Amino acid sequence: MQFKDQIDFIRQHIKKNKLRVFMTVLAATMGTAFLIVLASVGFGIHDTLRSEILDNRLVTQIEVYSGDLDVNKAEGMKDIDHVKAVVVRQNINAPQQESLGQYSTYGNLLVTDFNEEAKVGFALEEGRLPETADEVVVGSGFAESLIDQQAADKIMESRPADSQEELEIPSYDGNLIGEKFVYQLGDYDTGDMYEEQTELTIVGIAEKPSKDWLVDNKIYADATLIPKLEKIYQKHVEDLENNPLLSSMLYVYADELENVKTVTNQLKDDGYNVYSISEELERVDVFFLALKAGLVFVGTIAILISSIGIFNTMTMAVTERTREIGVMKAIGAQPKLIQRLFLMESAWIGIVGTVLALIISYAVSFVSNWLLPIIVGAAMGEEDFADLNVTFSIIPWQLIVIASAISLTVAVVSGWRPARKATKIDVIDALRREL
Amino acid sequence: MITVENINHSFLIGRKGKETNVPVLKRVSFSVQQGEIVSIVGRSGSGKSTLLHILAGFLKPDSGKIRVKDTVTSAFTEQQSAQFRLENFGFIFQNFQLMPGLTAFENVELPLKLKGMNHHQRKDKVNKLMMEVGLNAVQDHYPNELSGGQQQRVSIARALITDPPIIFADEPTGSLDSETEQEVLQLIQTLNKTLGITFVIITHDDEVAHRANRIYRMHDGNLAEEGAIHAV
Repeated sequence: MQFKDQIDFIRQHIKKNKLRVFMTVLAATMGTAFLIVLASVGFGIHDTLRSEILDNRLVTQIEVYSGDLDVNKAEGMKDIDHVKAVVVRQNINAPQQESLGQYSTYGNLLVTDFNEEAKVGFALEEGRLPETADEVVVGSGFAESLIDQQAADKIMESRPADSQEELEIPSYDGNLIGEKFVYQLGDYDTGDMYEEQTELTIVGIAEKPSKDWLVDNKIYADATLIPKLEKIYQKHVEDLENNPLLSSMLYVYADELENVKTVTNQLKDDGYNVYSISEELERVDVFFLALKAGLVFVGTIAILISSIGIFNTMTMAVTERTREIGVMKAIGAQPKLIQRLFLMESAWIGIVGTVLALIISYAVSFVSNWLLPIIVGAAMGEEDFADLNVTFSIIPWQLIVIASAISLTVAVVSGWRPARKATKIDVIDALRREL
Repeated sequence: MITVENINHSFLIGRKGKETNVPVLKRVSFSVQQGEIVSIVGRSGSGKSTLLHILAGFLKPDSGKIRVKDTVTSAFTEQQSAQFRLENFGFIFQNFQLMPGLTAFENVELPLKLKGMNHHQRKDKVNKLMMEVGLNAVQDHYPNELSGGQQQRVSIARALITDPPIIFADEPTGSLDSETEQEVLQLIQTLNKTLGITFVIITHDDEVAHRANRIYRMHDGNLAEEGAIHAV
């Protein structure tokens, strides 16, 4: 029998039992759509979380923890393959205050290596890099954070306690390049600043961070400043062993995101405690792989339930057509052909069900991505929730392949037994049946 | 054309575990020559239908040998048997056994579809045959829209469409009135004469049986030739 004739044959039978076939297709559609939509939520949340992780940090950055970091070790790390830069950043372990005329702020001083920083995207908005020990670069938000404290206090006093108005505290609005400010260290326990003052000159302003909401009011200095500050610190703190002025962090930067894992593993092999985005991503990926597998499993149960419908429909079809099958066998139809015709019919139900399910799933996915942020935003009273990039549902091609494979396999498997039954029909018994 | 040697067949009847063996065919031997009309006549339960089922390959004999056109068909597998039927046999049944969902034309076309013939060739062949057996006016009717005689004609056309050398007819006039019965028998005789098709007719009706060239009578599983050669 030609393939086209086989299709015709099936079409005729489907036409004869439109309603029954429609209900079966509907069940298959619902099962498959349920699986796709359910798993798409897993994919959606996974994707949202991944992009959240990748957005918030430098993706190629690897943090290295070690009790005794020194410059030599950092130098050694530069030789590892795929390492773009190694930066040692040192933070001050003490309260700090900066004053410029009547303005003051509490920005943190960061001692770093400008050459290495430049390799990983550190750039200046204006000015130049420090050349002497008392020259520094400040963050783009430094000027804004310099506040006239006395004026601010006055405003606060004159303001009614229940005022909802936003405060307009006067901050520094002049050009910072070339300005000198006073840097003071202080004591954590008392909160007081030491009287020793270090005068620093601003020679450059760092580029704005890529995120609008990040305010960079840090002061970037060269390692040449360290001795001066240590001298002041030593005067006030006795136990330098347990309370060092500086705490170092070592950052290794890989050249590409794909190589972060290789570099991370190399550093681990060298005995360092490391943390990189690839570690976090890996954990997130493993968790979501398990979650998605779970969701697909639950969805598969829905498809299995719909398979009962297919089994039922096909069994009914075989029973109803017993006489016809008998006649076909009598005039010379091969048992294999009979089996194929019934399998094709259940596969047809599976294919149509899957195609409809795909269309419905895409529609549901699209609507939920559009509507859910609005609903959730309204419920939480946050108007700008919709602006946050939360994707509730994503249907990647892998999900389509998996869902279609499961749906079609289940359809064919559930049609298998009825089809086998059809081939076993006894010609003589079938011919004896009444019309 | 057909040679049957010592066919034995029995059925197991009764509840499972307590079945009794009922012999239906006992050492049946006979032969059919090419171009003959042979009728096998007997009462209900005499075993004549079982014999036809075995000849057609619907059933395997317990023992014995069947040879059709020098091919031993009694040892065929189900697949071989189906293929052999499609190429060599046509069937006419008492209750016509037409597909209710197919038109007269489509019913006749069905064996050609099974053979894998293409649409155009099929259409030409069926149209020609429908014209010959006088069914062209009703070719788009469904079986339930046709009279008994017309249905049997469709059934005969379906048996003829593959140009088989042998046609088995199981009570071909059993569901027909006497006038239509004559028409159908006449058609069988004409086909035998003009196309040289060999017919094996199973019937309980002596009148039908006597239209054959040779008559075999079946009684309690035993087959014997009556000997009367009827001039066609």
